Amino acid sequence: MNNLKKSIRPGQLREFVLVFLILLMMFLFSTQIENYFSPRFFNRISTSVAIIAVVAIGQTLVVLTRNIDLSVGSIVGFSAYFVGQQLVQDNGLSPATVVLMAVALGALMGGINGLLVSFGGVPSIIVTLGTLAIYRTILVEISNAETVLTANLPEWLLDLPRSNIFSIGDLDFRLMVGVALLAVVVFALILRYTSYGRRLYAIGSNPEAAKNAGFPSRTIVFTAFILSGALAGLAGFMFLARFGNITVVAGLGIELESVAAVVVGGINTNGGTGTIPGALLGAILINILEQSLIRWLSISEFWRDFLLGFLILLAVAADSVIMSRIRNLWAQNGAHSKLGRTGTEGKDTHVS
Amino acid sequence: MTKPIFQMEHISKRFGATQALADVSFELYPGEVHALIGENGAGKSTLIKIMTGIYQPDQGDISLDGQPIRVNNAQDAQTRGIAAIFQEPMVFPDLNVAENIFINHRDFGPVVKWGKMYAEAEDILAELDILLDVRQPARGLTLAAQQAVEIAKAISLDVRILIMDEPTASLSLHEVAQLFKLVQRLREQGVSILFIGHRLEEVFEISDRITVLRDGKWVSTMPRSEVTTEGIIRDMVGREVGTFFEKTSVPSDDLLISTRNLSKEGAFSGISFDLHRGEVLGFAGLVGSRRTDVGLALFGIDPADSGQIIFQGEEQKIQSPEQAMSAGIAYMSEDRRQLGLSMPMSIATNITLPTLKKYLTSWGLVKRQAEDKTAEKFRESLTIRTPSIETLVEDLSGGNQQKVMLSKWLNANPKLLILDEPTRGVDVGAKADVHRLVDELAASGLAIIVISSDLPEVLAMSDRILVMREGRQMGILTREEANQETVMNAAMGQAAQTVREE
Amino acid sequence: MFHKLRQRLLSWEGFLLAALLVIIVFNSSMSPAYLRIGNWINLFELSIEKIIVALAMTFIIINAEIDLSVASVMGLAAGVLAWLHQAGVPFPLAIILALASGAVSGAFNGFWISFVGIPSLVVTLATLIMFRGGARILMEDQSISGFPDWFNALGQQSLVGPIPFGLILFLLLVVIVIVVLQYSGFGRHIYVIGNSSDVARYSGIKVRRIKMVLFTMSGFVAALAGVLFAARLGAVRGDSALGFELDIITMVLLGGVSIFGGSGSIYGVLLSILIVLNLRNGMSLVNLTGHLQTGVIGLLLILSVLLPNVANYLRERLDRRRFAQ
Repeated sequence: MNNLKKSIRPGQLREFVLVFLILLMMFLFSTQIENYFSPRFFNRISTSVAIIAVVAIGQTLVVLTRNIDLSVGSIVGFSAYFVGQQLVQDNGLSPATVVLMAVALGALMGGINGLLVSFGGVPSIIVTLGTLAIYRTILVEISNAETVLTANLPEWLLDLPRSNIFSIGDLDFRLMVGVALLAVVVFALILRYTSYGRRLYAIGSNPEAAKNAGFPSRTIVFTAFILSGALAGLAGFMFLARFGNITVVAGLGIELESVAAVVVGGINTNGGTGTIPGALLGAILINILEQSLIRWLSISEFWRDFLLGFLILLAVAADSVIMSRIRNLWAQNGAHSKLGRTGTEGKDTHVS
Repeated sequence: MTKPIFQMEHISKRFGATQALADVSFELYPGEVHALIGENGAGKSTLIKIMTGIYQPDQGDISLDGQPIRVNNAQDAQTRGIAAIFQEPMVFPDLNVAENIFINHRDFGPVVKWGKMYAEAEDILAELDILLDVRQPARGLTLAAQQAVEIAKAISLDVRILIMDEPTASLSLHEVAQLFKLVQRLREQGVSILFIGHRLEEVFEISDRITVLRDGKWVSTMPRSEVTTEGIIRDMVGREVGTFFEKTSVPSDDLLISTRNLSKEGAFSGISFDLHRGEVLGFAGLVGSRRTDVGLALFGIDPADSGQIIFQGEEQKIQSPEQAMSAGIAYMSEDRRQLGLSMPMSIATNITLPTLKKYLTSWGLVKRQAEDKTAEKFRESLTIRTPSIETLVEDLSGGNQQKVMLSKWLNANPKLLILDEPTRGVDVGAKADVHRLVDELAASGLAIIVISSDLPEVLAMSDRILVMREGRQMGILTREEANQETVMNAAMGQAAQTVREE
Repeated sequence: MFHKLRQRLLSWEGFLLAALLVIIVFNSSMSPAYLRIGNWINLFELSIEKIIVALAMTFIIINAEIDLSVASVMGLAAGVLAWLHQAGVPFPLAIILALASGAVSGAFNGFWISFVGIPSLVVTLATLIMFRGGARILMEDQSISGFPDWFNALGQQSLVGPIPFGLILFLLLVVIVIVVLQYSGFGRHIYVIGNSSDVARYSGIKVRRIKMVLFTMSGFVAALAGVLFAARLGAVRGDSALGFELDIITMVLLGGVSIFGGSGSIYGVLLSILIVLNLRNGMSLVNLTGHLQTGVIGLLLILSVLLPNVANYLRERLDRRRFAQ
């Protein structure tokens, strides 16, 4: 037991629990839905997870610093529409230009958020609630209520969602999924192995201390928002590729889904704890739930949101109850220092 | 004597209408421990914040190694080898010990080499003789351990000037001894230490020279060998203060509360004591001995899960603060800022907080006049120094805040008053006021529990002392039996046979 | 410090008042009809549901919590009403059950927040999805109308003189809110908890129960607004009141209520409600469309916090320079 505790951190345990939950859920649905494990189903889920996961990575960076980014839905919609519009006007734009354009646009919008939060001293929930509306409004204004139509987009873009890196039988491993996984790996490594990543944790862990520490905490929070915006911009491009038809309401509600993925994935809204793989698992869990509920013929599609909301709540509740128990256990048994520990809820010390 | 490493000359700093520092000068020599003392509001914190670059002085010069410098911000201070450790350590709870040591480093590098970092952290801790697992997260470390981490952090930064702002305020005697050993080692390495403290015994024990500030002005700087307790206190307060507290109250034999085998899983077990009206029972023990948990259980914040509380002859199951309050138990928290007082609210509001019901009309509206009357009464009787009872609590000094907190609970007319660290972070004058007040309350028939890490205080105030160690009751000492040695022995779990079990 | 705080509060409310006057002067110069009493009543009527819920939201935010699910509760309550009506339940009973559904939804939020200890941001984000789902389950993709005439009249016609029922209800609630928040013991406790729920708990205040009451009340008031919405439009759909939470939260925060809880006054919120309503009216006068208005409100939300920060920063720099000389 002690060895196990040494090799597994609470964060990792949490990821095992999520994997277990996902498997359990898939098993339960497979008993209810005929031909549940179809390749088509896998492909559909993997594509929609890919988009949410990319947004959720950015959201994770922001939430780790004890902030939140509610504007990502609008950024996804904005960049999807804007890039789509450029492509409609000029079918000859190169893929690299287009992706870069989407990412830069997202980074710009994220930068505005970050500027207001880090240097303007405005709480992130206020800033991003505001820009959620503002970015969407600008989109509506510049669009003149026109829609980007699939028919006007270049071939390569329309083929993108169906292009594979490799496939096993009918199971396709799509390029977009590859991009998302690459992003997951890159950012997981950044969080674990760079000083930038560790300082994101430090800031969320104790913002007061971070202010007086020997690193530029404001700039770091600022860049977290830029990255969140840039990733949302990338997701916007993926959104365009996947759906083709883009209206001004594109991406509406993605902010909720990304926050849900992050929260279910174990990233504490008080900052400081959580991992990128956790966020990915959160995104997978929510998407499987969503798609499976749609397919579950015995309930109407109208039940989907209701159950989804309830299950997110249950997941978080289970997490807060179970994980706090486990953490306590871990902390108690981890005491092997002369200076000692107060245990878990040591009331003799209050560290703010 | 060698040349000073660090000098401040004619430093002044003003905040709005308050002159926080006026023409203050002092210097630090290599390898000296220089104590900086003064009452709250004397300007110590401002001075430190100027040294560490958090504030800029309005006037005056700072020089390092004889060269004039400007400390622009915290990073700047760090580059110049100036670091500070605060009363509440600034650790990052979600990072592990090694990361906490290195997170501030400029040469932390863009990429974290975990293996190398762990190894270096272990080296630093070993050098300082600190036993901590470098992989363990900082969350859950004791305050003492967190301070050790901060010291290790400073050492790793090749610090030349270490500022310690009341580092002992939350430590037990044993931990203070450990800390002082560390300070000694740093001094031998040539580090200059600026030590800010409230407990004079400690200041005398550790420092080479002592500087006193009062009302933002420099009063005196003297070698330790030349100072006396009376002289220092006179310098601090600006008048003569009786240093010795004489206990006058005598316990009655009217039993108020008994506990039998009171226990809470994971916190404490087997707490049994009797407490009479007019009696002061001290709770002593090291930090981590769970004294506060017993207080919280009696007050119903974190109820005990087994054992009995017999209050006025009847067994009480106390499950919430409300139940405790209606029985007549009050608990004054050790943590004024987080748990004790609503800082951005007025004195009057805070005083009536637990008893607001008494000030409501039948429609549930607050009777402001009655409320103000109560607040004025306590302002007078406890000599709370404030322009008005409408003043916000956050604008008061620590001592006056403590008095507001006392008023808040006295107004509830408790039969049992639990005081947790009643003089923590309180200056000498206010401390004497609090001691006298507790004595008066006991004399008027209140039963009082005093939880305190300040051993001389517990010894002076208590009729009997309950000593705890790691959640267990080690024994109860009578006033005659109790002295520094017997209490410490019990608290460290040694020589239990000398302690009479009750 | 106390005076400073008071001054700042006063100056924020003063600023709001000045902004309101500017908007009023501008609007009246744009249209002579603007100052007519009928226009003012109409202006309130158009957003009556939102401003009613904003009153409840003021309590929640001062208490250092947030309720993102209010618009979904409005939709749910309207859905319950319409669905019961279609199922043949007597209309007054349907109204009572719709209001009860709101209270139950609010209590559901309160349960997870107070007793399980999940942050309200997370809980109400989940129930925002969930309650909206509830409305969709009941309504599917239909629109239900054909409510009794008296009910539609309540929402669409004036009741006393030119004043419609909704506005009377709002004014009544304003009086109640002022009394509770500024003068009652309950209001005092809300501020104390907003400043620090630990301090409140250590003072023997029943924090959980108060939070429970607040969220239940928030749900109930949202349901009331949802029913009113049904009466005013005469029809209910699954997406009734979708997205209203942004406007509601903006009104409260613009009014100077701190998102971190513990400070703010109802007078500031009333001023900010007037500003938002008149601003929308003004924008309509210069032919700015509905969606652009939402953007402006978002901008306003950010500015409401940014401007005082910038002003403070400039003041500090000025001070420093003065002393340096």
